[in-house]
Amino acid sequence: MTMNLFNQFLSPTFLGLPLIAIALMAPCLLYPSPAPWWQSNRWTTLQNWFIGSFIKQILSPINTKGHSWALLLATLMVFLITLNTLGLLPYTFTPTTQLSLNMAFAVPLWLAIVIMGFRNSPTHALGHLLPEGTPTPLVPILIIIESISLLIRPLALGVRLTANLTAGHLLIQLVSSAAFSLLLSQTTAASLAVSLLLLLTILEIAVAMIQAYVFVLLLSLYLQENV
Amino acid sequence: MPQLNPAPWFLILVFSWLIFLALMPPKILTHQFPHEPSTLTAHKPKANSWTWAWQ
Repeated sequence: MTMNLFNQFLSPTFLGLPLIAIALMAPCLLYPSPAPWWQSNRWTTLQNWFIGSFIKQILSPINTKGHSWALLLATLMVFLITLNTLGLLPYTFTPTTQLSLNMAFAVPLWLAIVIMGFRNSPTHALGHLLPEGTPTPLVPILIIIESISLLIRPLALGVRLTANLTAGHLLIQLVSSAAFSLLLSQTTAASLAVSLLLLLTILEIAVAMIQAYVFVLLLSLYLQENV
Repeated sequence: MPQLNPAPWFLILVFSWLIFLALMPPKILTHQFPHEPSTLTAHKPKANSWTWAWQ
């Protein structure tokens, strides 16, 4: 029974070809590059507004040196939010439910930020491992704890996104299969399940957008510390 | 859990980074953020509008 429920997360293949490649291309296909003329169409204007306000918001706490990360953070945000929200449509596959993909983004980006921090100002980077005002007997334990929390960041980043989206999709599948099986025999229970499904779907739309934002926000916070 | 199957992990990594590095950034880069057009002629030159950092 459980294997059946998780089957929706199997990386889909068709005749041996991985279909996740097509799912990953979806964001590229949905965002046409803006044309050079002054007034663009509604979709391009909307994108422009979104990217502009997002970049303004996420770069404001970062110093000027870190602003070169603008393109990477903007691309990551657009990519993740599109993959997450598209996955909520029926019969689509969400690549961000794959731990491999989320770790593939979390680990290299976190590592790049940490290495950059250690290269540019090693003392400052090491200083993050000991909060100010720590009582002396607690210092060794706290350094160990802070180091562990530093090393666990990429894992947390990847698993957070995976778990949130997987759990959401799983719940939707569970509740919808319950509603469907109850439809003819116990219609009242089925209608309750359908209303729950509606609320759940609204929640999942919010979660999809929020989780993408949180991923990029946390990366920007780590960048703030290290740049 | 099928997500823990290591078989497609490397392929997924390669594909996702390929798309993330090669296909998405040109689309984002073409977005520009010029200043709002003003009705009055400004004698003082405005600050340069923000560009993606290295352009």
